[in-house]
Amino acid sequence: MSNKKQQVSRRQFLNYTLTGVGGFMAAGLLVSPLRMAIDPVLKHSSSGDFVNVGISVDEINDTPQRIDWTVEQVDGWYKSEPSRSAWVYKDENGDVVALSPICTHLGCVVSWEGSDQHPDHFYCPCHNGLYTKDGVNVPGTPPLAPLPVYEQEIRDGILFLGNPIEREGA
Amino acid sequence: MRWHKTDVSQYVEAKEYIDSAVIPLISLDFSLDIEKNAAQNEILEILASQLERELTGRLMLVPSYYYIKTGNREVEISRLNNWVEHIKTQPFRHVFFLTFDSAWKKEEQALQGSLIWLPGIQSGEINSKEMQGMVREQVVQIGELIRSYW
Repeated sequence: MSNKKQQVSRRQFLNYTLTGVGGFMAAGLLVSPLRMAIDPVLKHSSSGDFVNVGISVDEINDTPQRIDWTVEQVDGWYKSEPSRSAWVYKDENGDVVALSPICTHLGCVVSWEGSDQHPDHFYCPCHNGLYTKDGVNVPGTPPLAPLPVYEQEIRDGILFLGNPIEREGA
Repeated sequence: MRWHKTDVSQYVEAKEYIDSAVIPLISLDFSLDIEKNAAQNEILEILASQLERELTGRLMLVPSYYYIKTGNREVEISRLNNWVEHIKTQPFRHVFFLTFDSAWKKEEQALQGSLIWLPGIQSGEINSKEMQGMVREQVVQIGELIRSYW
């Protein structure tokens, strides 16, 4: 009578519980290495730090125009949103060129045809620095290096810009 | 150039190129207009830093000069002139004061620098698109004014 009721023996019961608990523990240990192993798949595809600067390629023509945007930046303990600017235009091959507006002399902001005396040049108001349209400094003016060029990417006809790359002096 | 370590070390090396100083004049007023006062302080700081960004290579943004709005102007003028004298020994050729406080306009003659008084921007949403556009517009015009002295 009692034999018939006792379908699970004490030994069996202990076996079941131990396997169950052990299984949970093993699974718990496996979760983090597994998560790490497949992590690259779960990450957003952030190819560098390219930012949508809010202009489509169609809007760019062969006259440089100034665009401004902000990037998020964590600097030590404060988060800031520094604004950035670029001069963008299409060169004679139709390729988009994005130049940093920061003068390589002492860091003022240059502007396209900023002086009436120097058409077709980038002009720095601080010390009369001059750059040709491709951003190369004109010898004899204070700047010693060309304007940096932004890394760029075009996705679905929208311009994305990365970091400005410095160039060797002319 | 800002009054920061990295900028100042660059300044020391390129002193001959940086010949203009800008001192923002910011009033302190804890009375009824406290909110407006704070908003103007905020906008003036933004304006000054944007202006500095445009003309970094020739402009030194000196730490702001704070004063109590209802205080004794003569004392403030003589202190400000001390600042100017001290700054000009560096050599700086031009010293500009940037302010929203129209009371300075009357004292302009007594100041040993050029006063740039801006009509106060009415307190609006500081981060709004309109405000940013307005500040940018103002910065361009102040920049042109400063360049006319060069």
